[in-house]
Amino acid sequence: MTNQTDTAVRESRFSLEAASNYAVIVAFVAVVIFFTFAAPGFMTGENIFNLISNKVVLLAIVALGMTIVIGAGGIDLSVGVSIDLSSMIFIMMIAAGYMGAFAVMGGLGAAFCVGLLNAFLINKLKINPFLATLGVLFIGKSIQQLSTQGGVPIYLTRAEYAAPFDAIARTSLLGIPTPMIILVICIIGVYLALHRSVFGRYVAALGAQADVARYSGIRVPMHMSIVFISCAVLSGITGILLSSTVRSYVPLAGDAFLLDAIGATFIGTAISAERRPSVLGTLIGVALLAVMRNGLLLIGWNFFWQQVGIGVLVFLVLGLSFGLRKRGE
Amino acid sequence: MTAVEHAPAAANRGWFNSKIFAKLAIRLGAFAAFAGILIYFALTARGFTSSYNLINVVEQSTILGFLAFAMTVVFIGTGTDVQKGGIDLSIAANAGLCAAVYAVMMREGYGNFVAIPAAVGTGMVIGFFNGLAVVTLKIMPLLGTLAVMNIAAGLELTLTENTVVPVQSDLMNVLAFGRFLGVSTLAWCLIIGSALLIWAIHFSRIGLRLYAVGGHIEAARAAGIRTGAYIYGAYIFSGFMAGVASILIVSRLSSSTPGTGLMLLPILAAALLGTVFSRRFIPTIGGTLLAALFIGFLANGFQLLGISSYWVSGVQGALILLVVTVTSFAKKH
Repeated sequence: MTNQTDTAVRESRFSLEAASNYAVIVAFVAVVIFFTFAAPGFMTGENIFNLISNKVVLLAIVALGMTIVIGAGGIDLSVGVSIDLSSMIFIMMIAAGYMGAFAVMGGLGAAFCVGLLNAFLINKLKINPFLATLGVLFIGKSIQQLSTQGGVPIYLTRAEYAAPFDAIARTSLLGIPTPMIILVICIIGVYLALHRSVFGRYVAALGAQADVARYSGIRVPMHMSIVFISCAVLSGITGILLSSTVRSYVPLAGDAFLLDAIGATFIGTAISAERRPSVLGTLIGVALLAVMRNGLLLIGWNFFWQQVGIGVLVFLVLGLSFGLRKRGE
Repeated sequence: MTAVEHAPAAANRGWFNSKIFAKLAIRLGAFAAFAGILIYFALTARGFTSSYNLINVVEQSTILGFLAFAMTVVFIGTGTDVQKGGIDLSIAANAGLCAAVYAVMMREGYGNFVAIPAAVGTGMVIGFFNGLAVVTLKIMPLLGTLAVMNIAAGLELTLTENTVVPVQSDLMNVLAFGRFLGVSTLAWCLIIGSALLIWAIHFSRIGLRLYAVGGHIEAARAAGIRTGAYIYGAYIFSGFMAGVASILIVSRLSSSTPGTGLMLLPILAAALLGTVFSRRFIPTIGGTLLAALFIGFLANGFQLLGISSYWVSGVQGALILLVVTVTSFAKKH
């Protein structure tokens, strides 16, 4: 944007640019080391385990979905709607006495519909993804308010409902809790799709040069549909995990994930020289946000200061990573 | 599918230049839809046309309007592609922070002469950080302003500890309850503010250059415009408007209240809907003013008709989608 290219800056740019690729990793390591010394309870097995199973799993699954969408050059502001509607249908079906498996299918089906609506708006009506998913975000809010008398949460804490929730949130396989296994499956699935398949190459092409991708014969609408539906369904999985953990549906609870998911994905782009989203980068972004929040809590910062601290950190990391990048790229 | 494919065919069969005809139809259609909805409310909703109610809606739209103007100026200066171009996600959180600064300083006994410059100054500092992120550090606007939004929202919470901070002052009574020529102060603020901005953006050199920067940044730079300074300016102005709006928010509510950040979505809706009222479907101050009033009248009419307010957000969403579909069709053909 500015025209200033000092010769001094230009000379030192080569090394700075290489260094900028490591800004996030350096920040992550620094943050972990800092909290290890500053917060006594941080580097304990129990704390790390809780951190991963409570905070990281939910955000990471949404962020994986966001990674696919941003990788394809789009953005999905409606992940909160997918989370909430999936959670709402899931809880309502459990309350109505359906079997757990059906309720899960119902929830994921609702999320699928959100993705389908996004895909319709983007492919058929040619609305840009930001505006299309913004519209869906508004509509999703209304749907939730209308079906819950303005936002009354549904709590299913009575013992008779416990079975399906426990089956999802409280079981474990070989000592690993089920939600963590689901996360690992999602990571492997998205990794294979994005980084080890033809689909992933097409998505990368769409993200880099949508017009070129279209002229080289990539079926853009079909791939965009898959991208947005995958993101919605992944968010739906988070919705069901969230509901199973807290045994309730709180309207508009999913909105909290939107900014963190976008933030984590873009922080993650800083590890690649081309500033492209990747599964590994996103996971580092999610971990960075989770560690910051947990560490700041442990050293006694309240929720409000945590938000300031995280905002400043994200600003600095992005500033380092983007500010040192080569111009005119 | 059908809508998109049939519409151009119909336009091509028009009796005269189909391109102009289609654009004209859409523009008139936007005004007609606005007028039609107003007439419908006037006929069905009792009390809608009373002067008390009309002024009330204008008052309610003042704050939304000011913040939507800020977003419009950012859109103008950084291009209308919200994804790759510019956007200021921090406006609403910034207004909340300014309101908190103002309310807390008033509570601590500083007068209006200190508290108001402090609040507006806070807004401009936050705006400066947006400029720093976008222009100097070259962070994508969507991301840079997102990080700033988090910082502003966090600072607001630390200042107020997430509570309502009540404020009393003479100036606020004038702003909230004062009247001049039968019109309330808040409504005057909207009228004067829009007039000044319409002059600055649409009838001054600065405004023209701002459009040039947003329209094609390389061309603007080649023409000798200091593009970076204009984008910085747009973000700082946006912060300034957030500061001004925060004083109005505090006056209207007699307090600084958590939750101002939630206004981001209506602000975006107003700024985006506004483009449909302009000839080339670009952001304009007049268009945003109409859109902000439209959103206000819509919510008010729903209320008077006894329709649940839960529909409002959905209708806004559907309107955005409709407007964007129609304008992108009109731009293409």
